[in-house]
Amino acid sequence: MIRIALLLSLMLMTGCSSPRPTPRPDLNGMLRQSVNSRRDPSLGGRWLASLGQRNGRERVELIDLRSRNPVPLPGLNRADAQPISVSVSADGQRLAVVQQREDRTELVLYRRNVGATQRLPLDPPGVPRSVSLDGSGRRLAVQVSRNGRWDVDLIRLP
Amino acid sequence: MPRPLLILLASLMLAGCNGRSERAGGALLATSQQAPALSGSGEWLAVISDRGGRPTVQLRRLSDRSVVSVPQLSRHQPHSSPSLSWNGRYLAAITQRGRRRLAVVTDRLNGRMHPLPLPGGRDPVQLSLAPDGQQIALQVTDQGRWRVELLDLSDLLEPDRPPGQSLSTPALSSEP
Repeated sequence: MIRIALLLSLMLMTGCSSPRPTPRPDLNGMLRQSVNSRRDPSLGGRWLASLGQRNGRERVELIDLRSRNPVPLPGLNRADAQPISVSVSADGQRLAVVQQREDRTELVLYRRNVGATQRLPLDPPGVPRSVSLDGSGRRLAVQVSRNGRWDVDLIRLP
Repeated sequence: MPRPLLILLASLMLAGCNGRSERAGGALLATSQQAPALSGSGEWLAVISDRGGRPTVQLRRLSDRSVVSVPQLSRHQPHSSPSLSWNGRYLAAITQRGRRRLAVVTDRLNGRMHPLPLPGGRDPVQLSLAPDGQQIALQVTDQGRWRVELLDLSDLLEPDRPPGQSLSTPALSSEP
């Protein structure tokens, strides 16, 4: 009887406490172990894009949170490119990346079904910094340095 | 026709052909804007903008470029790293509480604000809210390194899904 009363009061206490955010230990362990350092997360549904550092080099990584596996991104992480910011569409098919390459900071769009990057010119020219894709991956907002201050440009993508 | 006018017309035509890029500035061209975040639907844009010298989240509806107030985020500056759910119902950002940084999610439908304290007293650096609002990724500093950690919010927030997929979320009116 005492045991039942204890169980009941425990259930009541749990029921009364307000809902809380709960860590995902399974996924967090995997995210911690696979790289030395990870930053700039972007969540699109089941997809997590981020910049992971391994052996002193930072790369764009896309993880399928359902299978807990990294997704190959052929043609994206070129040896001469240093990523700065990344954003993923809700279906995980499109990645917008700001990267530094050959002393130039550029905004590129990567389509997984094509496996290639496309440079997106800024008009008027400026230096991109932080990027955000909408869910469909067809609208993009990017922070751009122009004439000594930060603008936000909106770009529609085909 | 005068030559300058011809050049102007030609450049306008060229810009029209290219015409995929626009600036988000609108009425607020005078202020600096950083850390843009689009909603999943692409209808809402959150940025960090200077308000009285304090970096503050600003939310804009892109269809009419109007600025929409978010009363829950009028304090606790500096703000950083805004992130929006699919229909813009949830707006997450990092705020300041005393000496600590604190991630919060505001629900614009009912005006609630949910603080997301991190275990171990760590401070968030950057965040990303999933489009449906059911989980959040937080970049934290841990022993001199950056980590990304995921928090499940499904007990806290009901889903904010694309129209047509909505199960329990009522449509969001233009003003909270």
